[in-house]
Amino acid sequence: MLRWQRISSQFASRFSRLDTIALLLLLTFCGAAYGRTRPQRTNQTVQHAAEHDDVTGLINVQNGDLLQKAAAQNWVSYNGDYSGARHSSLTQISPGNVGRLTAQWVFHPRVVSPLEVTPVVAAGVMFVTSANDAYALDARTGKVLWHHIRALSQGLVDDPAQHRNRGVAILGTRIYMVTDNAHLLCLDARSGHLIWEIPYAIGNRNYGSTSAPLIVNDKVIVGISGGDAGVRGFVAAFNAQTGEEKWRFWTIPGPGEKGNESWPGDSYLHGGGTTWLPGTYDPELNTLYWGTGNPAPDYDGSVRPGDDLYTSCVLALDPDTGALKWYFQFSPHDLYDFDAVQTPIIVDANFKGQPRKLIVTANRNGFLYILDRVNGKFLLAKSFTTQNWTKGVDENGRPISAGLIPDEKGVRVCPANGGATNWYSPTYDPATHVFYFRSYDACATIQSNPKPFEEGTAYYATGLRNADETGKAYINAFNLDTLDFEWRDLQIGRSKGWGGLMSTATGLIAYGDDAQNFVILDARSGKPVWHFHVGQLIHASPMAYATKGKQYFAIAAGGDVFSFALP
Amino acid sequence: MRSSWPELLFILGTLFFSASSVIARAQKTEASTGAQRFMEYCAGCHGADGRGGPKAPSLINPANRARLSDSELSRIVHDGTRGGMPPFAQIGDENIVAVLQYVRRLAANPVVTGALPEPAVTGDVDAGRALYFGKAQCSKCHLMRGKGGFIARNLSNYGRTHGAEAILQSITDPDAPLVPSSQVVVVTTHDGQKITGVLRNEDAFTVELLTEDGRFHLFSRNDVTDVRYTEHSLMPRDYGKRLTSKELNDIVSFLVTESRSQGVNGSASQ
Repeated sequence: MLRWQRISSQFASRFSRLDTIALLLLLTFCGAAYGRTRPQRTNQTVQHAAEHDDVTGLINVQNGDLLQKAAAQNWVSYNGDYSGARHSSLTQISPGNVGRLTAQWVFHPRVVSPLEVTPVVAAGVMFVTSANDAYALDARTGKVLWHHIRALSQGLVDDPAQHRNRGVAILGTRIYMVTDNAHLLCLDARSGHLIWEIPYAIGNRNYGSTSAPLIVNDKVIVGISGGDAGVRGFVAAFNAQTGEEKWRFWTIPGPGEKGNESWPGDSYLHGGGTTWLPGTYDPELNTLYWGTGNPAPDYDGSVRPGDDLYTSCVLALDPDTGALKWYFQFSPHDLYDFDAVQTPIIVDANFKGQPRKLIVTANRNGFLYILDRVNGKFLLAKSFTTQNWTKGVDENGRPISAGLIPDEKGVRVCPANGGATNWYSPTYDPATHVFYFRSYDACATIQSNPKPFEEGTAYYATGLRNADETGKAYINAFNLDTLDFEWRDLQIGRSKGWGGLMSTATGLIAYGDDAQNFVILDARSGKPVWHFHVGQLIHASPMAYATKGKQYFAIAAGGDVFSFALP
Repeated sequence: MRSSWPELLFILGTLFFSASSVIARAQKTEASTGAQRFMEYCAGCHGADGRGGPKAPSLINPANRARLSDSELSRIVHDGTRGGMPPFAQIGDENIVAVLQYVRRLAANPVVTGALPEPAVTGDVDAGRALYFGKAQCSKCHLMRGKGGFIARNLSNYGRTHGAEAILQSITDPDAPLVPSSQVVVVTTHDGQKITGVLRNEDAFTVELLTEDGRFHLFSRNDVTDVRYTEHSLMPRDYGKRLTSKELNDIVSFLVTESRSQGVNGSASQ
């Protein structure tokens, strides 16, 4: 029997003739039905525009979107997702093709100073801030969809007076940003129109803000700046719909509160401990992790005896009530401007063989810390830079002081006051358990010339800022399994870099170097695999997004935002 | 032959009428060009009626007007100022002249623009509020103090930079002049779809619209059959017929009073 005869007889034997006829009729019907449901050529109105290929999505970010485990198409907050890991799960760009990466567009905002924003992207629309302005850009072309203009505030002091802004938060059809004079704005995401505005830091002229808000559940959460100008730090939460204040946690305890022993009289009102970077959030533990800045006045500890809680800490807060669950203080009674606002990245990994819920963070004081994020228990402090202010940490992670006290003559302190690391973002790859961060190995001579707090001027107890010696900058890869560095890349360039990092699931690290390049490294080896000379100092951290099937990297560099993709 | 005076008069009259209407059209074209350029380049900071706002000073203040000559004004528009005004040399000398002529006309006709002195509001503010959020459907497109639609301009501060007369005019004659960011454009794609939206950006290569559902549509000019500029905004043009004089006055009074009742929101969106 021929093959086809065998097949057909097998087929015939399985199905009766009636079944076969029915099957044929069914197939014919389906074929006809398919022909009828193919798209008609009609004049369609805007209601059907959603089917058109060139359209952005509908901007309507839900809490579920904010819970995404790693940034994908959308980069929905300053750090991309709640863990703070700045890790993109996009896979279109890989070590194999990254060499072909090419510039797509450049955007130049009205006010530049330089930019510190991390763009947020949702539904193909990119949101950036520049000083007090906000923009929506088409993420494919960089062209402006709307521009919300607001004048710079006058009469600000210290950091807020530089009018930097780190970007927006987004929930529903609204975006949220802070202004240099600490107003929280709620804008419509489709038009940039102002919906409401809340001045959220009053009572001290030296308050200001430079950060990006964080959405948790139904609240928009903000920190504050101005710590080196002697304000009282706090974290505050507002109802995202109405702007009503829901809670405020003061980082400097008032009279009668635990920790107030460090703050005699009304010094608590000028204790610093500001909260000027967005924190991270664990939805399963329903815990917010937020870093606090150094105590004020800088360098002069004589007016603030004791540990100076809760400065230079990471706080674990209840996001619904603002209640303090636990805290860990990295630098008790800090005398060297060692802020602890660096991102406390949420990591689920083995620590010494046991699966654990961790916080991993590199601190300005020169230690890399691993903490248990359930209860704040200290697990590890690894020195990553020259340190002479401490002899090490005890079994609770408390540093042992080397007794260097800044005075009129000045003392040489390592790391320098700018810190062994600073606010530039670290990143974490959950697949390889490697934590990447930028460090700066330098020393500085720090003096102390005490003066009383005065509204309208900074509260540095120096009279003049000291200058740190030229140091060595590194991009570091720290493996949580080996508890050691995989590689440490010495940075070459004339300027002290402020560019933070991000990582991808394909094993790439992106960042701005010390020579005005946007660089991509192979994450395993640390070797550069691509770069683009943006021609400006990069003072921000990159992000990744995708729209219409195409992946991009974007970074604010100097006064411009650049976007890159494969050709 | 009998002289054909009536015919001659008729011919002359026709010629004269044609000539004057041509001249009038030319003047109107010139006037409307100046108005359009002003809306495009100046109104964003100086206000649609030139009265200024949080970002830029009034252009029609008599003291300012008297102080500066044509050539000084021209230089300011051309080069910008230290105070933060950007240079506009790139719009071309013809446009600069048209804009300055428009500014002079604005300043010369303060009554039309509702400039100082400010008349007291005479309408029923509560009735105006009810109309705004109700029968007149203003809130369908316009935000007022956080409530309302997003597709048209935010009216929260409108009464601060526009007088009652100007507001009334912008309700009854919304396209005079047409603000560029309000222009409705209809794009026809190769497969026959028509997408209608408000223009958000355009150049020689692309056109981008915002549709009423809140999506942004990016079109390559090569990929569409037609791009039609309607020369209108989304705003209905028949409010003058739909609403009574009292109702219009009530709405105007509401807008003016609401804008002044709270602190200035120091922001503006374009």
